[in-house]
Amino acid sequence: MPADLSFGPREGRLAETTVLLVGLGGLGCPAAWSLATSDVRFLLVDDDLVDETNLHRQVLFQDEDVGRAKLDAARDGLLRLGVAAERIELVHSRLLPDNALELCSRADVIIEGSDNYATKFLTADAARLAGRPVVHGAALGWQATAWAVSPTGAPCYRCLFEDVPTTETVNCSSAGVVGPVVGFTGALLADLCLRVLHGEAPYGVLLSYDGLRDRLRETTVPPRSDCALCGSGHAEQPPIVQLSEDRYLRPVCAA
Amino acid sequence: MSITVRIPTPLRTLTGGHEEVSVEGANIQAVIDNLESSYPGMKERLVDEKGVRRFVNLYLGDEDIRFLDGLNTSVKAGDEISIVPAIAGG
Repeated sequence: MPADLSFGPREGRLAETTVLLVGLGGLGCPAAWSLATSDVRFLLVDDDLVDETNLHRQVLFQDEDVGRAKLDAARDGLLRLGVAAERIELVHSRLLPDNALELCSRADVIIEGSDNYATKFLTADAARLAGRPVVHGAALGWQATAWAVSPTGAPCYRCLFEDVPTTETVNCSSAGVVGPVVGFTGALLADLCLRVLHGEAPYGVLLSYDGLRDRLRETTVPPRSDCALCGSGHAEQPPIVQLSEDRYLRPVCAA
Repeated sequence: MSITVRIPTPLRTLTGGHEEVSVEGANIQAVIDNLESSYPGMKERLVDEKGVRRFVNLYLGDEDIRFLDGLNTSVKAGDEISIVPAIAGG
């Protein structure tokens, strides 16, 4: 059996806890790995296949997994780490406007490690509408960010970035992703997830990691009163009250 | 007064590969204007008509300037400004 890496002696205190992982890539894999012995139930969402270029950083996968569905390979990886099969549920799909609310509603915490803005905004919106906390992660090159958003937002992802970019961002480059940077950040996402479950989440504090300087910067993001998702400055309620498909169809960065 | 500006990888094509550059300026706006003079093309990557681009973060030390005084934020000799693009990879 693997070493017990939960909070202390196994008390099964997270046994009824479900963590939804949106994306089983460079961030989702190490996040899931870090949670493997914490007793949580896994609800995994991804529709991608394992590619050879994933292997250096997507640590749940092995050479023979190339070409398989990431979720099937991730399940096998978690089984190898000692997670019971009945605690892993797979949803072979992208997170979409017509499944996001239901999936988020089933989770106690959501870890969003997707690779595109549209999915990040969709996860943010669905989490808020479902009233669930979400931990967002992102990485590119030597840079990464992680932060936890409370079930009521304020601040939320839209307080920071407002809306899906309509033009190419400075981000869209061929910078690649450095394996240890996503490994560190995935573990940080798992840490934030456990802090949420512990009632000790640093909601609204954006952590930015610079792998070239090994520097972790904390930025407190203030709520935005005109935020379309959680702003308190609207005459009635914030305008986003449902997941309209056209809101997530803009050109996205293929980072 | 010389300010150090840290340049992220995607923008180093504009600085001849330099990771750090020194520019003059009394506030962030002046620093960006002087950056543009030395490294044409930089300004449009950082700001638009509404201010700092939504998917770019400018830090003065450890503080995001959006939560200070924006482009009017004062800087002094020895300060370090970091340009950190928002990222969506995973």
